[in-house]
Amino acid sequence: MNTLQFLMDGFSIAFQWQNILFAFAGVLIGTAVGVLPGIGPMSGVALLIPVTATLTAGLPTEAAAASSIILLAGVYYGAMYGGSTTSILLNTPGESSSVVTTLDGYQMAKQGRAGAALSIAAIGSFAAGIISLIGLVLLAEPLSNIALEFGPAEYFSLMLLGLAAVSGLAGKSMTKALMMTVFGLMLGTIGIDAVSGIARFTYDIPVLYSGLEFLTIAVGLFALGEVFKTVLERDHEDGTMAKIGRILPTRQDLKDSAAPIMRGSLLGFFIGVLPGAGATLASFFSYIGEKKFSKNPEQFGKGAIAGVAGPESANNAASGGAMIPLLTLGIPGSGTTAILMGALIMYNIQPGPLLFEDHPEVAWGLIASMFVGNLMLLILNMPLVKVFAKIIQTPKKYLLPIIIAISFFGVYAVQYTTFDLYLLLACGVLGYLLTKNDFPVAPLVLALVLGPMIENNMRRALTISNGEFSIFVSNPISLVLLIVAAAWLLVPLLLKLKGRSVVLNEEG
Amino acid sequence: MSKTFDRFAGIAFLLIGLLFVIESQRISKSSYGSAVGPDIFPIGLGAILILLSLRLLYETFRYQTGTKNGETVQYKKFIIIFVSALLYAILLEPLGYVITTFAFLLIAFQTMERGKWVKSILIASLFSFGVYYFFAEFLGGSLPGFPVF
Repeated sequence: MNTLQFLMDGFSIAFQWQNILFAFAGVLIGTAVGVLPGIGPMSGVALLIPVTATLTAGLPTEAAAASSIILLAGVYYGAMYGGSTTSILLNTPGESSSVVTTLDGYQMAKQGRAGAALSIAAIGSFAAGIISLIGLVLLAEPLSNIALEFGPAEYFSLMLLGLAAVSGLAGKSMTKALMMTVFGLMLGTIGIDAVSGIARFTYDIPVLYSGLEFLTIAVGLFALGEVFKTVLERDHEDGTMAKIGRILPTRQDLKDSAAPIMRGSLLGFFIGVLPGAGATLASFFSYIGEKKFSKNPEQFGKGAIAGVAGPESANNAASGGAMIPLLTLGIPGSGTTAILMGALIMYNIQPGPLLFEDHPEVAWGLIASMFVGNLMLLILNMPLVKVFAKIIQTPKKYLLPIIIAISFFGVYAVQYTTFDLYLLLACGVLGYLLTKNDFPVAPLVLALVLGPMIENNMRRALTISNGEFSIFVSNPISLVLLIVAAAWLLVPLLLKLKGRSVVLNEEG
Repeated sequence: MSKTFDRFAGIAFLLIGLLFVIESQRISKSSYGSAVGPDIFPIGLGAILILLSLRLLYETFRYQTGTKNGETVQYKKFIIIFVSALLYAILLEPLGYVITTFAFLLIAFQTMERGKWVKSILIASLFSFGVYYFFAEFLGGSLPGFPVF
């Protein structure tokens, strides 16, 4: 079967009524998550994993996995759409990838062109979503074919590269990011060792035998951490909201933004494919690029529509691009994709090169549903922008306690132990303290997901080589991957020593 | 950047790293004939964490004495919400989901902002009953619903 055939099969799965419903719910919740300042895509996806797990409980495993991942991915790219709304209307980004949208978006809103800015953001996001999906369709097969040739040594080095990439760019201090990575890997070793069956660090406590549950830690660190932060440091009351006015962009607006959308999409896609460099970086580079390309750069910062169209396309394309390493190599490049990967593993479905062979309905169903979801988002966002803008006014006093209650319900409904609830609360406090002091938590979660796989591959490789660590450098592919990983860590360090400011990816 | 927190974190992670290295020695040796047992990975990680923590501690000595920004932190609200969440976790199994969720939400709503009792009670009961019936009755999941006498 060729790619087109697989894609058609994917569409037949995406068009099953429950999956259309799941995709719709996903993009709707995602848009809300993007609009609400305070919950980002990471906490949104983490919070919804247990909810989808219960919703899909009656289905066979594979169908359940396809449906859940359709919903969760919908939340992910839906949040990228929604993030622009608050940037434009309130000058407050809903999530970090929309920070640059505030520069020109809010200016446009002040000039009474908020509607045009919002609809251009939606159109740009749609175009970008489709372009990155086409890239995903074209690259999925060749990439996973390459990865199929990989042995344990190559896998070990590839995962190390993924970790290095995420920690090298996350947060302000690389020492702290690396500490978080190592700490995540250490937490991953708790429980029964998969290779030898020996219990490690369990101290005869039964709940520890299966290891610390990834879901509990992710929900605690991200969702509860953010709730605690808002409770402790009550965000400044929101400013006045700009009027939306006319929604449709003018012909001139469309003409001005066509090229930025194309450039933003392509740039965003390629940045998204790189592990570690996520949507925030993509939107940032796109803005700088558009300013350079523009015939009148002095317009930027004063309401240039290209300054909205480019970055908004870029951050959406990046979220599509980030699915490629996740699905084909099994290496999540960002915090949110790490959580998606955790969700797939919960269903006993291993993302990676074998995914397209073993579970084509999950992989292609997801890809096809992303086409459907993007279309839904465009249809939803154009006429309903005014409705979504209303979500901004949800009072925090009701929202925050409900988020705590949802995370309690979610964790308990999946785990059935109070131990996980205590762990959840502890992770919430830890998440707040760590994030506040520039210890990025995304590398920790990524390391927790990848940890067991890294260890297994390392030990399998070492078993093949009779304990010789040289196998990792004597194997050419593995050596190249290790060199790239080291470069990813060393280059920003060297640039910093030379006094250059390094662009950081705060989203994780 | 807070110097005190980073020092404290540096020492805490240093101890965690040490503990990992020491405790890894107690992991039983591998049962199958391979040179690489289940203890190598944790020992390596522990060692790396120790080095990184030392590096962080060294870095804290080079921090400029930063200006403290006068953020008002609302400890009282946070402590009330945290303690009620803790009680929620402790009482969930003995008292059941509906009662504990309702109580937790009501306390938390009122802690966030006093007043509007009717609205708070309405939202809290809608959420606790709604989630329970949707999950337990409609989806057939199992939750401890009400106290068992």
